Amino acid sequence: MDLFLHALSLALTPLAIGSIGLGALVGLIFGSTPGLTFTVALALALPMTFSMDPVPAMGLLMGTYIGGMTGGSVSAILLGIPGTPSAAATVLDGHPMTKQGEASIALGTAVIVSVFGGIFSLAVMIVSVDLVSQVAIGFGPAEIFALVLFGMSTICGLCGDSLLKGLIAGVLGLMIMTIGIDTIEGVPRMTFGSVNMLQGVNLLVAMIGVFAVPFVIEALSEKTNTSAQDTRVVRVKVELPKIGLLIRNAWLMIRCSVLGTGIGAIPGTGGAIASFLAYDHAKRFSKEPERFGKGNIEGVIAPETANNAVTGGTLIPLLSLGIPGDPATAIVLAGLMIHGITPGPALFMNHASEVYGIYVAVVLAYIWVLSFQMVGIRIFVHVLKIPRETLAFAVLVLCAIGAYSIRNSAFDIYAMGVIGVLAYLLIAMRVPITPIILGMVLGPTLENEFRTAMMLSSGNADIFYTSPTVLIFFALALLVIGLQLKSEFMRKTKRQQQ
Amino acid sequence: MTFNTTFKGGLIAAISSAIITLGGTAQAEYPEKPVDMTVLFGGTANTIAQLLSELMSDALGQPVVPVSRTGGGGAVGYSHVVGTAPDGYNIVWNSNSISTTHHTGRVEFDYSAFTPIARVSTEIPALAVNASTGWTNLDEFTAGVNAMDGKLKVGISGKGSFTHLTSAALFDAMGLTDKVAFISYGKGKAPVELLAGRIDAAIQWPGQFASYVESGDLNVLAVTGSERVGVLPDVPTAQEQGVDINISMWRGLAAPAGTPDDAVAKLQAAAETAVASDAFQEASKNIGFSPAFMNAADFGALIESDDAFYGTLLQQLGLAK
Repeated sequence: MDLFLHALSLALTPLAIGSIGLGALVGLIFGSTPGLTFTVALALALPMTFSMDPVPAMGLLMGTYIGGMTGGSVSAILLGIPGTPSAAATVLDGHPMTKQGEASIALGTAVIVSVFGGIFSLAVMIVSVDLVSQVAIGFGPAEIFALVLFGMSTICGLCGDSLLKGLIAGVLGLMIMTIGIDTIEGVPRMTFGSVNMLQGVNLLVAMIGVFAVPFVIEALSEKTNTSAQDTRVVRVKVELPKIGLLIRNAWLMIRCSVLGTGIGAIPGTGGAIASFLAYDHAKRFSKEPERFGKGNIEGVIAPETANNAVTGGTLIPLLSLGIPGDPATAIVLAGLMIHGITPGPALFMNHASEVYGIYVAVVLAYIWVLSFQMVGIRIFVHVLKIPRETLAFAVLVLCAIGAYSIRNSAFDIYAMGVIGVLAYLLIAMRVPITPIILGMVLGPTLENEFRTAMMLSSGNADIFYTSPTVLIFFALALLVIGLQLKSEFMRKTKRQQQ
Repeated sequence: MTFNTTFKGGLIAAISSAIITLGGTAQAEYPEKPVDMTVLFGGTANTIAQLLSELMSDALGQPVVPVSRTGGGGAVGYSHVVGTAPDGYNIVWNSNSISTTHHTGRVEFDYSAFTPIARVSTEIPALAVNASTGWTNLDEFTAGVNAMDGKLKVGISGKGSFTHLTSAALFDAMGLTDKVAFISYGKGKAPVELLAGRIDAAIQWPGQFASYVESGDLNVLAVTGSERVGVLPDVPTAQEQGVDINISMWRGLAAPAGTPDDAVAKLQAAAETAVASDAFQEASKNIGFSPAFMNAADFGALIESDDAFYGTLLQQLGLAK
């Protein structure tokens, strides 16, 4: 109890509260602006923390991280361009809701369930950090490979009308990520002797290209038929979700929170896989799965709860093992290290009050995010009043800046353009683009963990069927694929009968 | 706000370098505009760079702006800096990676394309095993490994990485080369894999092991440099235990070849002031590196002798091009 009070005294200083709020605001702005990513915001915030005390410093970083994670849904819902890879699943139902004039309900729901998921996972983390980290240690390369393969199987549910086209898209995603230096053998692949290609395709750059460039091309190539334009301008209403909606979906929120926390705790996975698994889960257990992809609120609730539940989950390997789950948490780790808070088993012995201070900071960050967003939503929805052509230019400029800023590389602006034009052509051929993102997010992990597992077993494949955990995930993946094939088959026979 | 000034600094650096290129150099006292410092890696390299650049900005009187240009094991950043004007306004936060990127054929140029400014820090790898093995020093380790049926599984962060090269050199010096199988992990996951018992030994940075040594889960048997490290003062060096090896990773500053001497001298002085500062010394303990200032001439000689060493090592490992 003394410890907790001491932690409160560290976290409830005006400086700490202010820096958490500043972080949350900056994270929200970077997360919600198409093109700008909150990893860049974190990198910019890091040097500011050097001269601060540990708790305000970590508050600033955690605030930015949480603000960014939550803000990613804003442009996903309003424009169909996810602000972060983990908001890619939110596009599927969030953006159709905007087209139906329900943008503010989708945004409001997204922020409320995000806060729920985040606080839920933090609570789980506080009570079970030791237990969960023990389980997480048990996840070796073979287990992570099996989990990621299970994640890949959700491509089935994202294919739209053709399973084949969905698989083509998924494989394209996998292929794009093989460009660059192979981390295991250290050899260049698909680089054609170019030094710039050695850096490979950055996931965030590719994501900006895949979602934003087709948006820009479509907006600018629309016929400038003014009468059609005028009727299309949406009537923007600000309406927040009703409490009944949340209560009806409470059970879904809890399941997705558990899922997100669990995935976040496993090193080397992260927000994107959690949100896709949650989306697939919600669709499979929904009473009306056919309404998914057409603006079903459950399709917003599931991924948004899960991707914020990941924030608490990733704190487990970060604090107890010192392993960052993604580039964003790697910057949080750097912030911890520079203040002498070395993660690992001795952390809770040496720095207990700072760690509890960080927990309080996370809660405060969510309070800030919630209050900012309740005001922000009223402002954000007016973006829809801006004519699409004007918006397209703004998005294009922001995306070019965003693509450049991730690695300070002009090459990435070209990469974004090339990938974006290819994505536009794929959309024109009715190939779904979400599986590309899934393939890109999971591809490197899938490949590297498989190869490391094979090295561990000296090239013997038995490592993949002697572990119960591996078998469970394989079985789940098979189940998802089997169910999909069955429904595909039934739909075809139905069509033939008609 | 610092992030604003950083951003603006970058912008100013970009614009003013454009003006200089267009308008020709005006004669004035160096430095008269911000210095662009290319950072090749994330993680520790980036953290030290952020701190160093702040401290150097104070000493130099102009902002030193760290700009992350990662990828290709350093190849992307080195290529950028080689292509910039040798005027003292473009420097690189370099490391032994200049030798590995060249010898593995990722870049055509080698260390001679750069003028050394100063060495700033060193990081010394350490060999750790799971405490359940009962091995506490290199002799017990060698005996234990020789008694094993199969091969010792050693975790590294990718073929050709610094931890791989150190491991190969150490086990070669111990006569264990044939008893070792390397397992590549993409990221720095080796300590956890070691904890879980999936691998038998790992060579990583002492800072990653410190917490596990304190909790009694891992034993660190040796460090590979010529002196012990601050984070793990009780761990003897390999030399103390009769294994003749001295490998440490240095980080420092360099500029494109042809950079004027007065600019190099001013940057060297700023780096010396920064390294000597309390803030830098304090951070080194937290992050787990050793401040190790060395002047430009000595640093140049070190880079040259190291380059020959890593060239031969990569040749032996079949990784050289």
